[in-house]
Amino acid sequence: MPLPDRLTCEQAFDRLNDYLDRELSPEEMRLVKEHLEVCAVCAGEYKFEAGVISGVREKLRRIDVSAGLRAKISALIAQEETRKTSS
Amino acid sequence: MREEASAVDLVGPLAMPGGARPTFESLLQPVLDGAFAVALRYTRNRTDAEDLVQEAALLACRGFQSFSPGSNFRAWFLRILTNCFYSSYRKGKRQGVEVQLEDAPELYLYQETAAAGLHQRSDDPAKLLLEKLTGEQVEAAIGALSDENRVVTTLYFVEDFSYQEIADVVGVPVGTVRSRLHRSRRMLQKALWTIAKERGIVSALTADASEED
Repeated sequence: MPLPDRLTCEQAFDRLNDYLDRELSPEEMRLVKEHLEVCAVCAGEYKFEAGVISGVREKLRRIDVSAGLRAKISALIAQEETRKTSS
Repeated sequence: MREEASAVDLVGPLAMPGGARPTFESLLQPVLDGAFAVALRYTRNRTDAEDLVQEAALLACRGFQSFSPGSNFRAWFLRILTNCFYSSYRKGKRQGVEVQLEDAPELYLYQETAAAGLHQRSDDPAKLLLEKLTGEQVEAAIGALSDENRVVTTLYFVEDFSYQEIADVVGVPVGTVRSRLHRSRRMLQKALWTIAKERGIVSALTADASEED
């Protein structure tokens, strides 16, 4: 189906999640962006949804593997490599 | 020449300009932290996450010949880890303890925060709410999702993967990832709101607002 010249609120809303994730075609990305520039209601919803996503990302702490687990995995791999070599 | 080399010679030690294959361990070590972060969200506890990463590392080591040098090792390893979680781990001790959230409508949190008056309180109500939630509370909201929703949500939020990358790791079509991820985000919003209400965050925010009136 050919894309319209401009999107209605409903058409923009249908694409909001994909737009947030940059998963639309360049043409559709442009159309949604243009709609958000002229529609305060949709722009407010977009800003909110984007804020939730970035807020969740910021709250997820970085987790490092403990030195103990790292060593255990190294030993496991060494053991496996030895097994492969000897078989 | 090849027949005379030992297996150790054939696989290592690192990728050389001459085209030698990098060792499994040299590729694994840099992705371990990220893989553990994913495993922890999948399994929801440290001991099980450690078991899962070890199991995946061993399976990946055994299947390393199927890895194409130059392709994305991190995604390859996460695919094995995810398969491992689905096939062996999930059938085990965790079965039956899953919390099932009901689906939520689009813009769930937007509507709820508007109804609670938070949109008058701030021009960035999402930030206002999220700033009050602790990392543990956000983790708990992700932890409340079902296994299949939590897997795509983790890959999206922790790894920042595209739909295609998630599809490759999970082994489902892109369209399935899209709908599963969108649904998961709605449910995550519901879980975040439920936690915010239960922990008194919403009432504190609205009380602050009424004090200022």
